[in-house]
Amino acid sequence: MAAQTLAEAAILGGHHAQAFPYFGAERRGAPVRAFTRIDDKRISIRSQIYEPDMVVILDETLLEIDPVVDGLRSNGSAVVNTRKAPSELDIGVSVRCATVDATSVAIEALKAPVVNTAMLGAVAKVLDLVTLENIQKAIADRFGEKLGPRAAEANVLAAQLAYDGTKEGRCLGARSIVQRRMWLPEWDEVPTGVALEPEHIEGVAVGPGSSIQNMTGTWRTSSPKYDREKCIRCLRCWFTCPDVCIKRLEDDHVKVDYRYCKGCGICADVCPVDAIDMVKGVHEW
Amino acid sequence: MTADEISTIKEMPNNDYFVSGHGACPGCGVAIAVNNIMRILGSDTTVYVPASCLIVFSALYPTSAFRTPLLFTAFENTGAVITGIKAAQRRRGIEGTVVGIAGDGGTFDIGLQALSGAAERQEDVLYICVDNEAYMNTGIQRSGSTPFGAWTTTTPVGKVTQGKRQMKKDVMDLVIAHDPEYAATLSIAHYNDFIRKVEKAKHKSGFRFLHVLTPCVPGWRTEASKSVEIAKLAVETGMWTLFEYEEGEARSTYKPHTMRPVTEYLHMQGRFRHMDNDDLNTLQRWLCAKWYYHYGHDVEQPACAIYNGEKELHFDGDPLHGV
Repeated sequence: MAAQTLAEAAILGGHHAQAFPYFGAERRGAPVRAFTRIDDKRISIRSQIYEPDMVVILDETLLEIDPVVDGLRSNGSAVVNTRKAPSELDIGVSVRCATVDATSVAIEALKAPVVNTAMLGAVAKVLDLVTLENIQKAIADRFGEKLGPRAAEANVLAAQLAYDGTKEGRCLGARSIVQRRMWLPEWDEVPTGVALEPEHIEGVAVGPGSSIQNMTGTWRTSSPKYDREKCIRCLRCWFTCPDVCIKRLEDDHVKVDYRYCKGCGICADVCPVDAIDMVKGVHEW
Repeated sequence: MTADEISTIKEMPNNDYFVSGHGACPGCGVAIAVNNIMRILGSDTTVYVPASCLIVFSALYPTSAFRTPLLFTAFENTGAVITGIKAAQRRRGIEGTVVGIAGDGGTFDIGLQALSGAAERQEDVLYICVDNEAYMNTGIQRSGSTPFGAWTTTTPVGKVTQGKRQMKKDVMDLVIAHDPEYAATLSIAHYNDFIRKVEKAKHKSGFRFLHVLTPCVPGWRTEASKSVEIAKLAVETGMWTLFEYEEGEARSTYKPHTMRPVTEYLHMQGRFRHMDNDDLNTLQRWLCAKWYYHYGHDVEQPACAIYNGEKELHFDGDPLHGV
């Protein structure tokens, strides 16, 4: 939706533009990419963009798992959702960079960590092709039509707040760009699962139980704080944790495994004695 | 029931056969249900999952969140595949539970013929339907399980039509018509009831069917932390009834003291935000009939509350609710 809105804003500014997503999983939290192409003349090319002039990164942690800045040249630019200043940020290519804490902005304006419109505000500051006014017009148009005037207003506000909070500079290019992990086994390397003994399967990179290597804790925007004194050991949190990250100890007290906690807050909601408290932000205790 | 069967959270084994690192949305009801089902079923279990959210988030290539064997083929054949796995195990002398965990699309619509076949043959398998009331994995399309009035991308809200116009299919009645060994409905918010029923299903042999209501955060437009509370309200309002079927008889296992008005359940979910008074009354009347069907016309029966337009359904909070 952000890519489409950006294209619409460019069109409002008298440019030609197109926008399209990369087809993949449509699940909340799954990495997605979308493209916008802007030109002064009619655009006939229809391919995906491989050498972008600008990369907009909605989640900083993607830098660890996906080659998001692939194809970006040193004369390009980047807009990143992070709390860091541009000079502290290393994205793998040294380019003109703008950073904004879009997550905080979105939570303030929308009461939800949905950062796309806030990021568009930041884009307006860096990209000469679109003005903030046109971005806000496009947001009001697109979001107003789909979600109603109240949502449009909140999203326009998010863009404004992000525009005001954007810091510009140049980011570092020291880290190496991660390449997407490809696993292409030969036929005899494929584990059959059924043939493995239960005691041998722990810690294997593929096959049964191997999802423990996916650290889903990076999804979290709020963290559960556990108060051992208040706990009555009813184990409701252990039962209802969807991410199996509440570990049951010998004495039926619990311990949160923050490497996997996605911060849904069910544990705090089901706790009958308020022994678990959801604290905003990514913390560990 | 023998003494060593588990019936409370405390008695549950502290061994996870469904592990962390899967890619479910925060607050996923399916993950809660599957996690606890696997804890109870234990290590001697073979899991089959057809196309569904569950296979997508628990088997992120090349990993698996199940510490047991996990199989996957096409969408429509859960009943047939688990039959085949059980037959192969019988032939090879392997003891254990064969469980097929399908979504509502894979049970109510696409997988109904294979389910019916397996139930009719009285195969010795456990079939579990994790019901999130639409095809959530592909982006929220209506299924036979979607309740009346709910918004989905294929039952949009506009001037001509407002959400789904049909009632939810009663798949439990369809399964019970096959006279299975055991069939039960489960709720992730009624812990001991949940545990007792899974344990019962584990120890019986013959065709067993469990139906779990699993709230879906993005599809129902709810807050992630409220999944369990919503599941609880579903039971309190009659949108979900807890009962079990064995030896030819259906018996309710939990009866709410009073029937709460359905608006309490609906107002927590963005997918019902648009519903007007007529629709609410239609749904409430249908619920009353369902309530009497399951709990009977006792004298102490609370009168069925008919919605009179006092309460606004409007959800105030996340502007993305009810997209």
